Amino acid sequence: MKLKAWHTFLFVFLTALMVVSVISTVSIGATKIPFQDVYGVIIDKVFNGGEKIAAGAYETSQYKIIWQIRLPRTLFALCVGAGLAVSGAAMQSLVLNPIADPYVLGVSSGASAGAAIALLAPIAFMEGQRQTTAFAFVGALAAAFVVYFLAKRAGGGKLQPVTLLLAGTAVNAVMGAITSYLVFKARSPEGIAAVYNWQMGAIAAAQWKTLSIPAVLVTAGTVAFTCMGSRFNMMMMGDEDAAAMGLRVRLFRSVMFIVVSIVVASLVSITGIIGFVGLVVPHVVRLFSRTSDNRIVMPMSALFGASYIMWADAYARSVHGASELPIGIVTAFIGAPFFMFLMIKNGYGGSRKK
Amino acid sequence: MTIEYENIAVRLGGKDILTGTTLHSHENKIVGIVGANGCGKSTLIKTTFGIVPYHAGEIRIDGKSIREFTPRELAAMIGYVGQEASCAFDFSVTDVVAMGLFARRDKSKQHKKEIVAAALEELGISQFADRSIQRLSGGERKMVFIARAVAQGADMFILDEPTNHLDISHQLFVMDYLKKAGKTTLIVIHDLRLATHYCDYLYMLSDGVVFAEGPPLEVLKCENVRHVFGVHGFAGVSTQGVLDFSLFECGELGCISEIHEVHEHEVHKDHAAYSAHDSETIS
Repeated sequence: MKLKAWHTFLFVFLTALMVVSVISTVSIGATKIPFQDVYGVIIDKVFNGGEKIAAGAYETSQYKIIWQIRLPRTLFALCVGAGLAVSGAAMQSLVLNPIADPYVLGVSSGASAGAAIALLAPIAFMEGQRQTTAFAFVGALAAAFVVYFLAKRAGGGKLQPVTLLLAGTAVNAVMGAITSYLVFKARSPEGIAAVYNWQMGAIAAAQWKTLSIPAVLVTAGTVAFTCMGSRFNMMMMGDEDAAAMGLRVRLFRSVMFIVVSIVVASLVSITGIIGFVGLVVPHVVRLFSRTSDNRIVMPMSALFGASYIMWADAYARSVHGASELPIGIVTAFIGAPFFMFLMIKNGYGGSRKK
Repeated sequence: MTIEYENIAVRLGGKDILTGTTLHSHENKIVGIVGANGCGKSTLIKTTFGIVPYHAGEIRIDGKSIREFTPRELAAMIGYVGQEASCAFDFSVTDVVAMGLFARRDKSKQHKKEIVAAALEELGISQFADRSIQRLSGGERKMVFIARAVAQGADMFILDEPTNHLDISHQLFVMDYLKKAGKTTLIVIHDLRLATHYCDYLYMLSDGVVFAEGPPLEVLKCENVRHVFGVHGFAGVSTQGVLDFSLFECGELGCISEIHEVHEHEVHKDHAAYSAHDSETIS
């Protein structure tokens, strides 16, 4: 099959997969809800303004589970998956490193430290969940900010991939130390457990009203990255080549870092750390699409990442009965071995088969 | 169209790399830059696109400071090929060459395809069009990167060791291509034999300044070569004016410039004919 036709097929397939995943994962959970009910409720609510529901075509309890609990959660999972995956693809291009993930700028460790402060603070500034999210968001952006300027300073005013990765590692270590220190000094076991749980990630907190900001940011990010696809491609050729082809390399990298940081921080501050999505999904997409062209890889990563996290969350909330499995554990268990497989297959380190 | 570097000074990591280097390209001619490793050849041409910042001096294109051009406008005027020819990601050869189109204003899709196909054709790599850039050899990749610069449609070329990674027949192919293209060309070149053959003018750099400049055979005089490279001679131009792999020992066979005096008319005959001859001698 010609590559172009193959890409069209993949797009259709991934879009269909995403739609099917929304309906299927909504039907999965402690209460099993038939597929057609989920479909019916969503269609009725979206296209008919909920006439049938008002007329009592569906059980109220079922309707509530579908519309008020599971659908926002599933859609939030969709956003998280799409956002992390597309940010991972962007970050890999920006730091010229195929094994970078959206967290290289310290966003995840900064968010952890922020969340730890919020969760362990003796007094509450804001209402529970919101405090954690706000602190995590600030922590994430603060860490990214420090990494950015540290790297710029070390690179003599230029942002270079290697210094960025090093600065990211250093800041991650410091932020990790802050989190550990806070946990060490904490008095309440509940607080410690909360920090620990937060770091393993969860989609649980989603509601319709918390959905809008991540949804807008992820959509905007995905569209922007896809439109900038050819520029990301040029970045992948290295700074020298990108500059010689007419790209404003430093400006582009700086602006895109800020965009990626905001998108990722907005997700991580709500979910906690969900690893191996931004790292692995773009690789899987590159493997199947047989190209690194970001005009293809960016949107496909978003689509595939969305389906991936919806299913990972469906698994996480149904496998352990009442107590949910943190989704970070699921993604690490699936992602890490797959990453090892890719590593061996692609022969990073020079043993790539010709 | 010409480019001039005027008193360029570059300091990197507290070390002065260039201290007031002045160098001009010549309209539709190949100007070579030679010099020992680390003398600042690549650094100088890297200032063009701001890859290396310079703290003094000025670069001008047709008398106009390059600061007045956007990077994209510059790329439309200059096809630049760096020293490295690698890529950590998987792109098809066509994709890589098509990246050069970013600099062009013309955006019609059909036209784009034609430009890419033509660039591949000119470099003789059409057969690689759908291959992955990562599955090519270093030399083949180099050809792809040159094709990308061609696709930019610029009137000038700046190339950092274009023949690096290439086998002898492709070295001659690339140099012949540049000669035929007849654009204003600036190349950093290590192979002094190729420099002698193909460059119309040479700059010899030493410790960040121009040590000598002029026609190749004048620049590559014994004392200059000895001063800059610390060697007594190099495999140079034979008395027939074709590539010869014997080493010219200065003092024994005499300096290159003396040979040049005798055979100047032959050396400067049609270059295309010479390289055809070269290929025959080699194969």
